[in-house]
Amino acid sequence: MRSSTFILLLVLITASAIAPAEENSSERWQTRSGYYWVSFTSDLEPLEINRIHRWVFHIEDESGAAIDNAEISLLGGMPEHNHGLPTIPHMTESLGNGDYSVEGMRFHMNGYWELTVTVDVSDRRDIVVIPLTIS
Amino acid sequence: MIAFVATLLMGIAWWEFGPRTPDSWTEAELIEIRSLSLRRLPELPADPSNGVADDPRAASLGHKLFFDTRLSANGAVSCATCHKPEQRFTDGLAKGRGIALSQRNTRSIVGTAYSPWQYWDGRKDSQWSQALSPLEDPAEHGSNRLELARLLATDVSLKTEYEAIFGPLPNFTDTTRFPDRASPIGSEELGTAWESMIDSDRGVVNTAFANLGKAIAAYERMLQPGPTRFDNYVAEIEQGLDSSSLSDEEIIGLQLFVSDARCTECHNGPLFTNNEFHNTGVLSFPGDHPDRGRIDGLKQLLADPFNCKGEYSNDPLHQCDELTYVRTGIELIGATRTPSLRNLGGTAPYSHKGQHATLAEVIDLYNRAPLAMIGHNEVEEKLGLSRRERKQLEAFLIALDAPIAADPKWLKAPE
Repeated sequence: MRSSTFILLLVLITASAIAPAEENSSERWQTRSGYYWVSFTSDLEPLEINRIHRWVFHIEDESGAAIDNAEISLLGGMPEHNHGLPTIPHMTESLGNGDYSVEGMRFHMNGYWELTVTVDVSDRRDIVVIPLTIS
Repeated sequence: MIAFVATLLMGIAWWEFGPRTPDSWTEAELIEIRSLSLRRLPELPADPSNGVADDPRAASLGHKLFFDTRLSANGAVSCATCHKPEQRFTDGLAKGRGIALSQRNTRSIVGTAYSPWQYWDGRKDSQWSQALSPLEDPAEHGSNRLELARLLATDVSLKTEYEAIFGPLPNFTDTTRFPDRASPIGSEELGTAWESMIDSDRGVVNTAFANLGKAIAAYERMLQPGPTRFDNYVAEIEQGLDSSSLSDEEIIGLQLFVSDARCTECHNGPLFTNNEFHNTGVLSFPGDHPDRGRIDGLKQLLADPFNCKGEYSNDPLHQCDELTYVRTGIELIGATRTPSLRNLGGTAPYSHKGQHATLAEVIDLYNRAPLAMIGHNEVEEKLGLSRRERKQLEAFLIALDAPIAADPKWLKAPE
């Protein structure tokens, strides 16, 4: 098995074991082990399908302090349809004040999506599943 | 017993032929329906890779080139040979036929300025780059880029228009520098001639060739879908008017389209396509190997010197978001690009090799959800629509036809 496929499977298996946070309950989500708070804004507001755009993620630690040395990766998919995003978005820049640019976001279907965000800070990795409904 | 059978038959007859009134719309359905309306179509996106995309002079030149049969090896094939304006820019054939039989079904070019990808397999990422490919395909135009560049430089009318837009063309008459025919694509003879040229001369030819495609693309951007009876229906219900634009059967078909038939999973947005790649278990064309689709198209795209990041792109920043963040993966095996459903009724046959002669056959495919011959069919559940429902869905799809929204002068060969 190719290593990229293995990593993808590992992330998906890990993600599937995490119940997504309640949708729209908050504008920020706490990672599974409680290390970080994750929130985002989108350059495309309201979100709509079939348009590529950028998101800015904001990462804070447990106390609410902005974190500037994180690495963010993201996988998205529709659990009900067993497929992922039509693009492979990735982090392009740390903007300071805990903000990170993630480019290449695009959704190609209305409905319920889950975005699995992995936050790496030094040796502390944590993960959160953000629920998202696009209509 | 007789009474029972008679009652049963009457029940079936009612189910199949009896009058039926559409249900009222749910809020979720209304949102979905509005999202399909042509009124929701955003402004034409810019194409930074084509510096003349919105230059009317380029559109005028592209119009001439589109209908010019001199852009072919036998002088008989133009873009309009397969993209016939009177057939919504398709050809009515299972597979396109230029000089010979091409590999796939001819897609319409109407509205393709909105798509990040071109062709069934997305092996091109702009209209201008797409326009180049058939010109050198031995089964389509069968020409070569050097002859085409020379045509631009020798025909007085084309040369004048070209140079007003793109600047001076080189002199291709020096046969020590420019062979009669040459291209990196096609026969060995063409390839040998191409290799005999120096780099800078190859670049000169490639630039003229790319500009030819950019002019054709400027013309193709003029071809957009017009409002259909469906769009009128959406406007009516948004204004709270009694709907008269669609029949009851078509409205029920629309209900199926946005709900049980799950069509909007891929055929979404005002153009009824997400322009993405899906394996839906379409059987191979008789005698052909299964089509690998996007998985091979992506390889070609990434290696294409005329892609958005290539040296012939006019995007100074080469941002090319779609290409930068393009998806790879095994799910692309056998996947082809979702076609628009606008103007569907007049563009049979359907699917990437024209495997389906009728819309009924396409709908039947989703009703059966067969195993894919290659890769994995994303449609895992049979739709299970009744015969009547399939007819209603088909009726709705046929209602998505309308004249192309373009100045009539673009819909015929130039005077």
